[in-house]
Amino acid sequence: MDIIRGRELTVGYGESAVLCDLTFGIPAGQITAIVGISGSGKSTLLKTLAGLLPPLAGGFDFAGRAIDYRSESSLSFLYDKIGVLYQGGALLNGLNLFENVALPIRMRYPKMPEEMVRDMVHASLAQVELADSVEKFPAELSGGMAKRGGLARALVLDPDLVFCDEPSSGLDPITSQRLDDLLLHLRKTFRMTLVVVTHELRSIERVADRVLLIDGGRLRFNGEYREMLASDDPFVQTFLLRKDRHDDA
Amino acid sequence: MTELGPTAPSAETVPLPKRLRAPEVAAVLEDLERRADVGLLTLDFGAVEEFDSSTLAFLHYVRCQPARLTMINIREDLARAEEGFLHWPHPAEETQVEPAASRLTRSLTTVADGYIRRGRSLGSFLTMFGDEVYHIGGYLRERKGVYPGEIWNQLFFMGYGSFPIVSLLLFLVGVTISITSANQLKIFGAQVYLADLIGYAMLRELVPLMVGVILAGKVGAAITAELASMTVLEEVDALKTMGVVPERFLMVPRLVAITLAVPLLVALADVVGIMGGIVVARVMFQMTPTAFLTEMVTSVDWTDFAWGLIKTVVFGWAVVVGAGFKGLTVGRSAEEVGRATTESVVLSVTMIIIIDCIFAFVLY
Repeated sequence: MDIIRGRELTVGYGESAVLCDLTFGIPAGQITAIVGISGSGKSTLLKTLAGLLPPLAGGFDFAGRAIDYRSESSLSFLYDKIGVLYQGGALLNGLNLFENVALPIRMRYPKMPEEMVRDMVHASLAQVELADSVEKFPAELSGGMAKRGGLARALVLDPDLVFCDEPSSGLDPITSQRLDDLLLHLRKTFRMTLVVVTHELRSIERVADRVLLIDGGRLRFNGEYREMLASDDPFVQTFLLRKDRHDDA
Repeated sequence: MTELGPTAPSAETVPLPKRLRAPEVAAVLEDLERRADVGLLTLDFGAVEEFDSSTLAFLHYVRCQPARLTMINIREDLARAEEGFLHWPHPAEETQVEPAASRLTRSLTTVADGYIRRGRSLGSFLTMFGDEVYHIGGYLRERKGVYPGEIWNQLFFMGYGSFPIVSLLLFLVGVTISITSANQLKIFGAQVYLADLIGYAMLRELVPLMVGVILAGKVGAAITAELASMTVLEEVDALKTMGVVPERFLMVPRLVAITLAVPLLVALADVVGIMGGIVVARVMFQMTPTAFLTEMVTSVDWTDFAWGLIKTVVFGWAVVVGAGFKGLTVGRSAEEVGRATTESVVLSVTMIIIIDCIFAFVLY
């Protein structure tokens, strides 16, 4: 069953469309990678699916419900069910790691007892191996730690789906692999749905069950990763570094 | 060797060095400029072995001046490199000269676009002002949507953090205005009225205006810089996807804090400003503080203090909403953070003056 279903979705900024007429499904319980070359519109699509950027045309359903950007309750429904890991972690600089991860709990359930908040935050930080850094402020964290902190915050309320925007970018191969392993662990253990925006081939290979490949403002490929490997589309082959260059742009 | 271009037998030949990269090309160009009156020059590339993109640009430059410059003995590898270089897009060649009418139209369009953008911006600002009233009401009803302790943090920053600068500046303003006025009053033998003048001017006008401007520079700029950085670093987006309303989470604590901080700042500013007057009256006219205050209360009362306070609270709201508006509507680059901060201070000071002018019409 698809947790997200795009319906002729057109996304972009102002009046200029970046991606046009996308119709696709993102199945629940799997890791779907949205991939494409730099500037292809991957992050723009993620912003629209995460409730940050209204579509220019068309729309999408989340868990069977059409998301209406004009309706506060519709967006609240979406926000209640998702978590987002941003490129740099996007932790609030004025709060330490504990308070950053506790923020979604405090904002959504202001009357939750402090003991419960503490337990939930520690469980989430332990998942990302940051249980020892609770007192640190974002400025004291490395890039990889900030991303893991951002992931802990995205996971703390056990969302149905987590969006990850370029989780491996700017990380060394070992930290990047640890983050990928963590995403695989979340999918396997909690049957969590993850949507990963990336252009890192190694990361796609390691984590992706399905791939949405974007090129030239349209969906170029939508299917399982192993089907992508077998695709004879010149752009897909080029993207997978199986061909030097493609002429079919 | 490839020989390109015609060679005039009578031309003066300039041998070029083995290494012809940017510094040498610059030296050759200077040499050519010195020989501007020589007529046709032949550049001999025979010795050139080391070259870079500036050499290729130089070849292209020479080729564009056949009446003055010509070339001989261009090596195969240099000719091949130039061939590749010529296939790159040359912006200068692609640029077409725009007709004057088109330039005028574009200038007018730019000006018109600017006004339309400002109009929209004003609309968004007023909408935000309304939204903030709604959010404050919502917060006071529900007591949620704001980080616990944030109002106290902001109160500390805006109030306690502004005490030293407000004290210093308002004392100096009190002294300056007193000295300036005292000299005029002395001419008419009206020294005693210095107390009335300082009391009235400070409570009604100077303290609200100065505190407002200090808040614009200190608090407003800090709010814009902080919120703009948060926007650029996707922290505001992160708040939204957590289900938090940034306009409430970030703005309400600041608006509540400024409302609480302003009365303290105004009271402090009134006291130190009047103290400046007392010091000058004592030094210049040997007037005792008691005599100064006794005279002052004959012309000012608590309503002057109250109106000054109300005005400053309104200035504070304008500063916070203006700064928040600039911070939350910033673009996505670091450069825009600086620009937004500057614009925020200009916007705040402009609003303060406009609001002050409106108050002047209403009150006097």
